[in-house]
Formats: sequence, C-alpha cells, structure tokens
Amino acid sequence: MLYKKNRDERFYIIIMLAPMLVVLISFYLYPTFYNLYNSFTDLSLLGLKKGGAYIGFNNYMRLFQDKAFGRLLWNTFFWLTFVSVSLRLVLGVLLALLLNSETLKKFKLTGITRLCLLVPWATPAIVAVIAWRFMLDPREGIVNQILLSTGMVDQPVAFLSNIYTVWPVVIIIIIWNSLPLVTMSYLASLQSIPKTLYEAAEIDGANDLQKFVHITLPQLMPTTLVLSLLLVVWTFNNFVYVWLTTAAGPGTYTNVLATEVFIRGFVDFELGYSSAIGMMMAAMMALFGMFYYRFLAKKEFSEII
Amino acid sequence: MVKIHKKKILNISLKDIILLNITGIVMIFMLYPAYWVFYGSFKKSGSLFSSESYGFTFDNYIKLFESGFSNYILNSLYICLLAVSISTFIAVITAYIFSRKKFRGKKWVMSTVLAGQMFPWIILVTPLFIMFASLGMMNSYTGMVFIYIAISMPFSIYLLLGYLQSIPKELDEAAIIDGCSTFQVLWKIIYPLMRPGIVATATYSFILCWSDYLFALAFLTKTSVKTIPLGLSQLFGEYGADWGAVMAASAVTTLPVLLLFLPIQSKIASGLTSESVKG
Repeated sequence: MLYKKNRDERFYIIIMLAPMLVVLISFYLYPTFYNLYNSFTDLSLLGLKKGGAYIGFNNYMRLFQDKAFGRLLWNTFFWLTFVSVSLRLVLGVLLALLLNSETLKKFKLTGITRLCLLVPWATPAIVAVIAWRFMLDPREGIVNQILLSTGMVDQPVAFLSNIYTVWPVVIIIIIWNSLPLVTMSYLASLQSIPKTLYEAAEIDGANDLQKFVHITLPQLMPTTLVLSLLLVVWTFNNFVYVWLTTAAGPGTYTNVLATEVFIRGFVDFELGYSSAIGMMMAAMMALFGMFYYRFLAKKEFSEII
Repeated sequence: MVKIHKKKILNISLKDIILLNITGIVMIFMLYPAYWVFYGSFKKSGSLFSSESYGFTFDNYIKLFESGFSNYILNSLYICLLAVSISTFIAVITAYIFSRKKFRGKKWVMSTVLAGQMFPWIILVTPLFIMFASLGMMNSYTGMVFIYIAISMPFSIYLLLGYLQSIPKELDEAAIIDGCSTFQVLWKIIYPLMRPGIVATATYSFILCWSDYLFALAFLTKTSVKTIPLGLSQLFGEYGADWGAVMAASAVTTLPVLLLFLPIQSKIASGLTSESVKG
C-alpha cells in the first residue's frame, strides 16, 4: 500500500514537472551544448546546410589574440556592468530612503512619486532608447537646446558620436529604465525593517547617521546581495541598450561582448566564431556566479532553494 | 479651535526644502522622456522640434495605422498572449511541485531552472536559429511562442515560488485528510489563493514578451509576422524617419504595458527579493 502510494506520487511529480523539463532541455540545455559544439567549428551562416568543419580551439585562440578583445572586456565589465550597476544600487537606496522619508509623507507626495517611477519602469527598452535619442539629438534635441541657450556649450554636442559622452549616455538610459525596479525592491525591504530597532537605537541616543549605518544598511544587505547578482548578470548579458543606442559605435568604441556575438554571427555570418564568444560570456558569468554564491551570498540563496 | 488650526500648518524645515527639491528633480528626470514621446505623438509633423506654435493632431496615429502598424500589434498580441498562458500554466504546476513535494535531485532541478533567469539569451540565438532554420520554424508564430515560453518561464517560477511559500502547507494537509486528491488540492485550494500571484506573474511575462527585441530581430524577417518592437525600430531606423509616427508608435507600444504595470508593480518589487528571501 505504502509502496504503491509512493509510486503514484513519483509518477505524479514527473507528469507535473514534464512540461518544464521539456522547455528547459530543448530551449536551454540542448542549445547551450549545441552552441559549445559550434564554437569548435567554422560554421558560417551562408553554409548552414553544409555545416561547419571541426577546427579545434581556433575560434578561442582567435578571440584571445584579437586586439579588440581587451577593449571589449573593458567596455563590458567596467562601463556596461560595473558603472551602471553600482550607480543603480547607490541611487536606488537613496531614492528608496527619499520615498520612505517623513518629508514626502508629510506633503503626501509618496504615492505620486511612486507613480512617476512606474513610467520609466514600464517603458520597453526600445522606447526608452528612442526617447533619449530624440532628447539628445544634436540638431533638435531638447538637451542641446538647453545647453546652447544657457551658453554652457557653443556648438551642439553630438552625444552619441563623441567618445567622451557616449558611455555616460548609454548608462543614463539604463539607469532611467531600470532604477525604479531597484528603488522599489529597496523600498519594500526598507518597509519591512522592524520599527523597534530604530526605537531601541533612539533610546540609546543614536543620531540619524548612526541609525542608517548600523541598522538600515545591514538590514538592506540581503536585498543588496540578491539585487547586485541579478543586475550584474542581466546587464552583462544585455544586448539591446548598446545595440539600439549606439550600434556599438562610434566605430566599435562601445562594442560589448553581447553585441560582438550578434555582429560576428549575424552581420559577418561567422556563426562558429560568434558561438565561441558566447561561450566565453557564459563561462565568465558562471564563474562569477559561483564565486558570488560561495563567498558572498550562500546564506541568502540557500534560503530560496 | 485655534489649537486645531495650528496643527494643520505644516512645519517646513530646511531638510524638507532640500528633499522636496530633490524629489522634483527626480520626477522631472523620470517623467520627461515619456512626456516628450506622448507630446511628440500629438504634435503636427514638422513642428516637433521647431518653436512654432503647437498644433494638436491625431494625424500621426492615423498615418501610423494606415501604414499597417496594427499588423505588428496583432502579431505581438497573438504571440505574447499564447506564450504567456502556456508559460504561466507550466510555472504554476512546477512551482507547486517545487514548494510542496520532496524528490531526489530536487535541488539540482530547482537551481537549474532558477539560474535560467540569469542565462545569457544572446547565446541561445545562434543554436535556436540553426534549429529553427532546419525545422522550417523561421518567421513562424509557433517558433516565437516557444521562445517566449522559454524566456518567461524561469522568472515566473521564481515569482510563484515566493507566493506559494506564503500559503501555509497545513492547508494542503488538511485538504488531503479530507480526501482531496493532489490535483484537487492544487485546483481547489491552492489556485484560488494564488490567483493574485498568478495574475501578477502572467502580467510580468506579458510585458517581457511584448518588449522583446533580440529574438524578434533574429527570427522574424518577414513584415507579415513582425512584432511591435521590430516595427518600431524599422520606423526609427529609416532614413529621414517621420518623428511623429515614431513617437505615436512608441506611445502605442508603451501604453498597454503602463496600464498593465500599475496594479502589479509592488508585487514584482517585493517578489524579486524580500518575499522569496525572507519567506
């Protein structure tokens, strides 16, 4: 009886998990291994039927010897990921504190400010890019009009073809589009900090700064750990912001790994080489994830799983 | 009487003034780009960037729909709705098993699925492109539906797990003692309790699919099957683009997402970290 029940139970679990497993295997696991295989071939988009010939580690060697590889890594790790993620985390905490502040409650502005944050959050990335590109247009954009009329510049700035402004612009667009998510996550976790902690600190004579450093920040730590992992991985893998804003330009100045994968595969038709770059990306993030899990967030994540 | 009146006067400190100013700047930063798009979409073409008097018009929208933009909208609706219903269904049953049942290898399966939301989608493009090309699934609704199921599934499972953890397990146990089968427990006990979570999850998946650009770019090349983001980038990329039409198209793309987003945003934010972590 007990044995039969166990078998029924197991059958039931398998049936219920089957659809998920089918999707997982056919759209994640199999393509990943297929990609790994392709990365050892010289497969071309023009010779799909013929297939690629095995060329060993040539694609990987080529990538490491590519003079542009260093630039790619710097762009991806420093500009796209490090700068945008750290800015979003810092601004996210500050904005959440603002939303949670007594001042906004006093003037009944909390609701309306939250509503304002929703707008960029709900805007699809492509619309966000279009809106900002219009605003930054050298001839007609509002930003240049303001800069010119206040005399801060003599000539309109071509933000997207100037190497000093192009990365800041991409980062501003990313921040505009995804800061609300970070802010709201922090706000949710700010509001779940027990009030008694602050009351106890007040009795002990702590000032605002001390309360922030010794209570708020540590209490926000679990959220910060989860958020920074998600943001790092999402941003590192992101293709649309750079592609739609600059198309990796001017020249290849803002090229990142994700756009390089696309350009090599679908512009230059070198699917094999493009697959190798993709595998490098996956390996880097897998390594990052492993270290992160092991040294930083083991506790946080073991509670989820 | 005087006392009550006095209480109503706000006490404004320097800190308040600084914070209010910052709030103002934040609001302008957040709203202005979106305002610019909606404003531009109702402006007479040619007057968008000039300082000429503002002419209100629906022309941009009329032109947009006459140029066949509604085709992209229908494609997006069809593909996204189908994908979201299937992916949400899969996510519900999977999350239920994950949160309620014990089985061998559970930890592995769960971590693989949850890691899926951090998967670099760009590396799926090439292998899926080759698979689809050989199966004749390029430029097909079916192919896109499958892809959107795949990309929305991991996060849906993650969100739903958070909700399920807040539903006490004792409810299931009581129902089983009362003679419910496991299926009955899921549909009669869990499903009604989870409905708000399911709605939020489905909405989030819909927004994800609706906004996708990468997969649509790689797999949809025929105009008849293209989705909204592609239609939009096509308008935008054309030489000498009609800004009015681009703005109108942007507004049409954003508005449904914005309306869907209002009721669910707080659930997404708390579901992302706190609920699952502390649950």
